[in-house]
Amino acid sequence: MTALLSAQNLVKEFPVRDGLFAQKLRLTAVAGVDLELFPGETLGLAGESGCGKSTVARLLTGLIPASQGAIRFHGKELSGMDRSEFAQFRKEVQMIFQDPFSSLNPRMRVSEIVAEPLAIHRIGTPGERKQRVVSLMERVGLSGDQLSRFPHEFSGGQRQRIGIARALAVSPRLIIADEPVSALDLSIQAQIINLLQELKGELGLSFLFITHDLSVLRHLSDRIAIMYLGRIVETGSRDAVLSATLHPYTEALLSAIPSVHPREGKPRVIARGELPSPLFPPTGCPFHPRCQYAEELCGTVRPELLEKEPGHLAACHFSEKNYRQRSSF
Amino acid sequence: MPPLIEIKGLSTQFHLATGVLKAVQCVDLTLDPGETLALVGESGCGKSITAASIMRLVPPPGRIVAGSILFKGIDLLQLPEEEMRGIRGNRIAMVFQDPMTSLNPVFTVGNQVAEGLRVHRGLSRREAEREAVEILSQVGIPAPRERIRDYPHQLSGGMRQRVMIAMALSCRPELIIADEPTTALDVTIQAQILELLDRLKKETGMGLILITHNLGIVAERAHRTAIMYAGRIVETAETSELFRNPLHPYTRGLLASLPEFGAPGEKLSTIAGSVPDLRNEIIGCPFRERCPICVAACATQEPEMKEAGAGHSVRCLKAP
Repeated sequence: MTALLSAQNLVKEFPVRDGLFAQKLRLTAVAGVDLELFPGETLGLAGESGCGKSTVARLLTGLIPASQGAIRFHGKELSGMDRSEFAQFRKEVQMIFQDPFSSLNPRMRVSEIVAEPLAIHRIGTPGERKQRVVSLMERVGLSGDQLSRFPHEFSGGQRQRIGIARALAVSPRLIIADEPVSALDLSIQAQIINLLQELKGELGLSFLFITHDLSVLRHLSDRIAIMYLGRIVETGSRDAVLSATLHPYTEALLSAIPSVHPREGKPRVIARGELPSPLFPPTGCPFHPRCQYAEELCGTVRPELLEKEPGHLAACHFSEKNYRQRSSF
Repeated sequence: MPPLIEIKGLSTQFHLATGVLKAVQCVDLTLDPGETLALVGESGCGKSITAASIMRLVPPPGRIVAGSILFKGIDLLQLPEEEMRGIRGNRIAMVFQDPMTSLNPVFTVGNQVAEGLRVHRGLSRREAEREAVEILSQVGIPAPRERIRDYPHQLSGGMRQRVMIAMALSCRPELIIADEPTTALDVTIQAQILELLDRLKKETGMGLILITHNLGIVAERAHRTAIMYAGRIVETAETSELFRNPLHPYTRGLLASLPEFGAPGEKLSTIAGSVPDLRNEIIGCPFRERCPICVAACATQEPEMKEAGAGHSVRCLKAP
């Protein structure tokens, strides 16, 4: 099966200046990421704030250009696309944002918000668009008579439904969702997760689901990729990553999540210290200053992301050695 | 042992142009020394206003209209403002959710940690600074002697939250109210902060009211839990009892909607609808429109809190 969307050695650098007279520095937000997304699958991308996961989302949607590397959609490279091919790519890849408050224009009515992508891509007559908008609103659980309202008249959960309707308007193949439920209350979160799951089954959508909530990730993903400081440190099937964890960072992340299930005396692994600045990444393995298993080699040589088990990749020198003692999610 | 804090019949209202918003309605809570009480609920349920009421920091146009808050036998609501100022930040301290907006950007962190010590304990500038260094190192800030000269923007989110905790701890309070202390933080940093609060609680024997919507944190950290809905406490019990045997349909719905409980990919159970608008007069049970077991009586009769077991109370007509 060919990938719907793939990225090879994706790099994004931002020039920054630390103070008025300081020299220019380069902040490497994404430092060589490889990704593949297949039709109908959900890839969960997880990591802490500042690890580069949102930058990856913006690169993959073509919102910002990559400094290096290639993104392919249906096997065709983004940079080599002509106008109409790029318009098609933009139509087929849609995005859902985290904050349902700032991602909807407060001066537009809901009907205009949902119809805008149709107008941009010149789909249908105004009459057909209106019908499509009504059916989309009903599909995401809002009633057609709310169409002439403004975003502020809706609750957070309802606004996120509007954002989903807008993304679905042009019948995309892939939806990139950047923390779509993290701003919502618990009982509303479950409603939105169910809606996304239903839509995936009904429309055969692929999802790139970005989140820092691993219980949501476990619920929705077919495959999972864990990012740390601009790199993917572990990737594989959901069960492999969560139950047969190979990378110490994934282990610390899983262990740090407060769980309503009793821990049954499992020792908690707490990562020491904090995320290092991506301006001055550590030498060797980026996680070594916080890693409880780190040895001398980790401080000097950066481990490559290698296949340790079939389909299960990790970037750690000692994953085989430490794997046996690990606990499961 | 007398309770550290005992809240009875607390009601706080906001008199708005469009009507009266009853943010907190008849809340009863007790906390023993050394205990952690979790206050749980969704946004707008009144948990933060309950905290603000204890501190007597309800923002206008809000007003505490009824009830008593006994802190070691003293009713905080009867104290003159001057005496309350001697308790606030001194014997009862608060940790806020967002350290970026609750720290003053134009003062150094050392200055802010030392402020309470100078005001409440009358320490000199130098003594207070020495004490501030000591407290910052206790909360796990590396190189505290250098850090006290830093301004809040120079610190990371986790470090700022540690500064907030250091400020709260500076006068050795008997009670700390932490309002979503880790919501703005990443999970690995969250684990560090919660560990720290637990350790300090053991060392000093203070009580902790932990306000959160994260049920995982509740399950792991709190002795007792109170669930709030629409300004009321709807269920309270020992934490392990509450998770084993939830009685209120809202509590049950919340627990069932956690992705942790569903099998991957399966439909999550949800609570239909959304919270009622507290500006409207609520007759009967505020949860009835979303409730799977509601009966005709729920529309007319507001349920009373009733005992359902040792230390387990629930506000529902139908609950066993």
